[in-house]
This record gives sequence, structure tokens and C-alpha cells, in this order.
Amino acid sequence: MLALHHQTRRCGVNFREKVLNTESYLAERFPVEKLNYASMVEKKEVPVHRLSWAYYLGGLALFFFMIQMVTGLLLLFYYQPTVSDAHASVEFITEHVPGGALVRNLHAWCSSAMIAAVMVHLLTAFAMKAFGKPREVTWVTGVLLLGITFGLGFTGYLLPWHQIAVNATKIGLQSIEEVGNYLPGQLSTLPTLLKEIIQGEATVGQATLSRFFALHVIILPLSIVMLLGLHLFSVQIHGMSQGIDEAPKRTEKFFPTFFLKDLTVWGVAFMVLYVISVCVPFESLYSYPLFEPFNPKGSTPDGIKPEWYFYFVYYPLEILPFWVILLGSMIGGAVLLFTPWIFKNTSRRTLRVLAAAAAVYLVVMTLFGEKIYHLFKG
Amino acid sequence: MKPHLFPTIGPAVALLLGALTLGAPRALAYPEFQAQILKQSGRTVNCALCHANSDGPEGAAPGQIGHLNAAEMERLGQARGAFQPGVAVDSPILNAFGNHLIKSLGKTKFLELRVAPAQLPDALPKESDLDHDGIPDAQELRDGTHPLNRNDGNPWLLFRHNFRENFGQIVLTLAATCAGIYGLVHLLNGFANAMRLKREDGDEA
Repeated sequence: MLALHHQTRRCGVNFREKVLNTESYLAERFPVEKLNYASMVEKKEVPVHRLSWAYYLGGLALFFFMIQMVTGLLLLFYYQPTVSDAHASVEFITEHVPGGALVRNLHAWCSSAMIAAVMVHLLTAFAMKAFGKPREVTWVTGVLLLGITFGLGFTGYLLPWHQIAVNATKIGLQSIEEVGNYLPGQLSTLPTLLKEIIQGEATVGQATLSRFFALHVIILPLSIVMLLGLHLFSVQIHGMSQGIDEAPKRTEKFFPTFFLKDLTVWGVAFMVLYVISVCVPFESLYSYPLFEPFNPKGSTPDGIKPEWYFYFVYYPLEILPFWVILLGSMIGGAVLLFTPWIFKNTSRRTLRVLAAAAAVYLVVMTLFGEKIYHLFKG
Repeated sequence: MKPHLFPTIGPAVALLLGALTLGAPRALAYPEFQAQILKQSGRTVNCALCHANSDGPEGAAPGQIGHLNAAEMERLGQARGAFQPGVAVDSPILNAFGNHLIKSLGKTKFLELRVAPAQLPDALPKESDLDHDGIPDAQELRDGTHPLNRNDGNPWLLFRHNFRENFGQIVLTLAATCAGIYGLVHLLNGFANAMRLKREDGDEA
């Protein structure tokens, strides 16, 4: 009886300790005492050092996301999400709607700019160890935001319903099904089930377009907004990370100094994006047969491939066995997500080397992936 | 054969009669030009470069021979007779660029160029630009881009042309962006100064 009493008491103490630990963990990550104007605006300082430029990348990604929202909403006025009309409606926007070509080009170019900004932001945050305690939530939400951004790119790619869109989506969805070959027993049917859920019918068709449309214009943007809220809240409440090993010699006020510089960077980014969108149609980068309306009975044109931001996984997938890429992607994804705990005690110097190696890999595979592929496959 | 009889007979018979009457050879797209463009530019092209249908002239889909009615067959026959340059060509199986090609070169010269497809762009009129994208059709042919699609072209050449064309619009947008940032900077600086003054007043009090 006494032993039971002691055990119950010990359990109670343990539970109390756990609650207190959780409370202190959360209090450290979400310091509500800093939830005031003075802490978040008036007194907030930003370190100034040789890597300070990286502090503008998050804001830049946010700016690109805002452009995507505005241009996406404008495109919605004319876009028709049906297999019979999708391509024609996109053509109509480009050829007949006043300013339509500009809005469409802005949306297309900005999606690339947004993904590039998010990727560079992630690499620099990693190199600067901006994920260290108490910024784990900032990091994890950032990685999830990167995933959703890729999801937006993948789902948006299908919407114009041209040859490259539909055929590249088919290849992408087929990759999901192939995962089943490496799973045991009943689990092996799960990827096929997942593919069918995404696809909605036997092949990529109207159901797929409807689902991708819903994902692209409602589900994923809403998820981004929610996660972005948490991400920005976390950034604001903890301030900018130190970024370098030695204490910064100088700081500047977040408001107005840094904020005004941020706005100027946004202005410059907008002008660059605007000039490119006015002068270079996004389609001009590809062979024209890829942008013809998808014809299920016609021949598949050469050169079907995903958008450039998937090359880092697409070309290795073409060269190496599927299981190698699958394993690599799973490990890579897990490492990214658990970075704050895996690299807790790693020096910034090592992190910079790792980030540089990752950047070199991404650039090489994006720019020379096709050449490397031909080198291996002849 | 009287033209008014055509609507009463089926398209297949019309096709047969048309072919017999006009003595036309088998209608084929010319793959040597496609191969040359791919070799030269690295861009893949399909039959839609010159033809009305991206799968070429043979078949029964719109823009293909099997889909033509009697009047269109007659236009096809006339187009096939355009051996010399300068004859107006309105073939229903060709697009505007294909018709322009035959009109500019004449069918004889065009067929001769099949053995030297690299010379085709040089044989085209240098100033012709059917899609008004600032890139001459001959250059588009060399680059493997579509001469009837103003969104398709060498990106750098398109940039140069569109930049010149839209220079005024770009300058106005730049001015608006600069003015917007200038105004925002002043507004936010005003807020920051007001905050500082309020804080100083509070400190003094």
C-alpha cells in the first residue's frame, strides 16, 4: 500500500516536472512578455556584419509571395479550370486581356523567383545557424514553407494544360507509384492509393486538374498563410539571429532603418521582375511544341521535363536507380526538418561549408543537369 | 468536273478526285527541315512550324488533307501549283508561315532546298516578321522558334526588342516605384521621429 502510494506520488512529481519542462520550453520559444510594440518594433535591433545581406532574403520571399497572391487573383478572373478550356483561357489571357500577358508573365517569373529566394534563404539561415535555440520553430516552419512552395510550383505547372504541363505531371505522379515497389506487404499499395487520390481518375484528366486547381488556389496558399504567420511571429519575437560567431560590432534599428532598406530591396526586386516580365515571355525559354494544348491522342513532344527547381532531383532520378533517390530524399528531408537538433553543436564554420556544398550541388544540377545526364546516358 | 457537284460527294471521294485531278504527289511534311533546325538550334520543332496541324498534313484531323472540303481541296491544288515565287498562296494545310514560305520561294526552289535545308533561312526575305516580335522569320527559323508566335523567340532578342518597344512604360513604372518608395520612406521616417519624440517627452516627464 505504501509502495503504491510512493509510486503514485513519484508519478505525480514526474508529471509535474514534465509539465513544467514543457511550459519552460514553450515560454522560451514563445516569450509572450515580448509581445508588445516596444520589444517588437521600437527596441528591435538587427546585427550588421558581412553576412547581413542574408537578412533580406526572407522578406524578399515574402514579397514574391505577395506578388503571387495578387497576380494569381487577377488570373482567376479569366482562367477556366477545365480540360477543354484551360489552355484556351490561358491563351485568351495572354493574347486578348489588357495587361494579361504581363500578369501571366509576372506570375510565372515570380514563382521561380520565390522558389529561388526561399531556397537561398534556407541555405543562408543554415549557414548562419539561425536555427539555434530558441529558433527551432522558425526553422521547422521555414522548412515546411519550402515544401509547400514546391507544392505550389508542382500544382501550378499543370494548370495551363499544355503538353509539358500534363506530361510532366504524369511523370511526377508516376514517381509516387514507384515508391510502392520498395515497401513491404500491404504498405506497397499505399503509394498507388495516394497517386489515385491526387490524380482522381485513371489518368491525368479533369479530376486531376480540379484537384490541382483547388490545391493551388486555396489549400496550399491558406497553409502558407498560416505557417507564414507562425514563422513571422517567431522571427519578430526572437529578432534576427546573430549570424556570425563573434558578437556583431554594430547593430541598426529594425524600425525604421532595416525596414526601409527592406522596402528598397523590394522595390528593386519588383523593377527587375517587371522588366523581365514585360520583355521576356516565360514560354520563350522552351520549345514551342511543349506549349501546345495537351492532346491525349497526339504524339508526346520531346523535351518533357519539370520546372528548373526540380532538376536537382529530376536528373539524378534519370541517372541513378529510383531507390537511391528515394532514400536520399527521405534522409535529406529528415535532416532538413530536424536540423536544429542534429546540428545543435556544429560550428558555424562547418555549417557554412555544408551550405556551400549544397549550393554548389543545386547550381550544378540546375545548370548542367542535362549535360551530366547525357554524359552518363550517352 | 463541275465545282457545284463537290458538296454532294463525300470528303473521301473529294480527296481522291482532288488528288487525281491535280496530279498531286503524296502530301508530306518535310522532315529534313525539322532535323536541320534541331541540329542548328537544339530546339525541337514539329510540323506546326509551317503546317496547320502539328501532326503534319496527312490524316483526317482539322488542318489535314482528310478533313478538307471541296473548296479547300481546290485551294490546296492552287497552292501546289505555285512553282514560281510571288504567287499568292493560301493552302488550307499550311499556316501563315508555310504559305509565306511557298509564296516567297516558289515550290520549285523550296523542294530544291530539301537537299540543302541549312540554306532555307537565307532564302527567305530578310525583313519579314510575321508575328511582329522583332525577330525576322529567317532568324526564327534558324533559332527553332515559331515565326507566328510572338511569345516564342530567342529570349535575348525578345528582351532587346520588347525593352525598346516598352521603354516608355518601363520608365513610367520605374518612376512610380521610386516615387512610392520615396513616399513610404518619408512616411515611415515620420512615424519613427514621432515615436522618438514621444519617448523623449515621456523620459522628460
